[in-house]
Amino acid sequence: MKEPSLLDVSPEKAGQDLVGLVLTVVELLRQLMERQAIRRVDEGDLTDEQVERIGTTLMMLDQRMTELCDQHGLRREDLNLDLGPLGSLLPYG
Amino acid sequence: MPATEPVPWDTDEFVAPVGVPLVDLLDRLLATGVVVSGDLVIAIAEVPLIRLSLHALLSSVNKKVPAPWADGGPL
Repeated sequence: MKEPSLLDVSPEKAGQDLVGLVLTVVELLRQLMERQAIRRVDEGDLTDEQVERIGTTLMMLDQRMTELCDQHGLRREDLNLDLGPLGSLLPYG
Repeated sequence: MPATEPVPWDTDEFVAPVGVPLVDLLDRLLATGVVVSGDLVIAIAEVPLIRLSLHALLSSVNKKVPAPWADGGPL
């Protein structure tokens, strides 16, 4: 009688949740930086060149997040955490 | 104006989440700035093993709270 596989964890899937948690923290920081950048740009004490570089950097970060999620077979929505009555960690959509 | 009857908190039906993503709250917290200070001792069976003494300023960089380095800094 074949021993029932108690834990059918393929090596690839094993690390997926851990990577998801790491990417969630990275996404949280990325969104925080994005909001802080918007506030800082609103103050108006930055040169146009700085604003331009901040914008492109944030855009590249966003694309990088999508690539990282694809590499590990995750969707961007999976990074969101549901904190019950507190709502969600990240905005939906 | 009739006093509005307070919303019961301990209802059994599902209480809708507050609706504000936590990241927005953190953002506003950073914008206003916060100081976290405290002491933490982790002990087992009354034997103190680990001590964490925390004095952290968590704030966004603005005129009142300048960055310690002139340029962007090492990070």
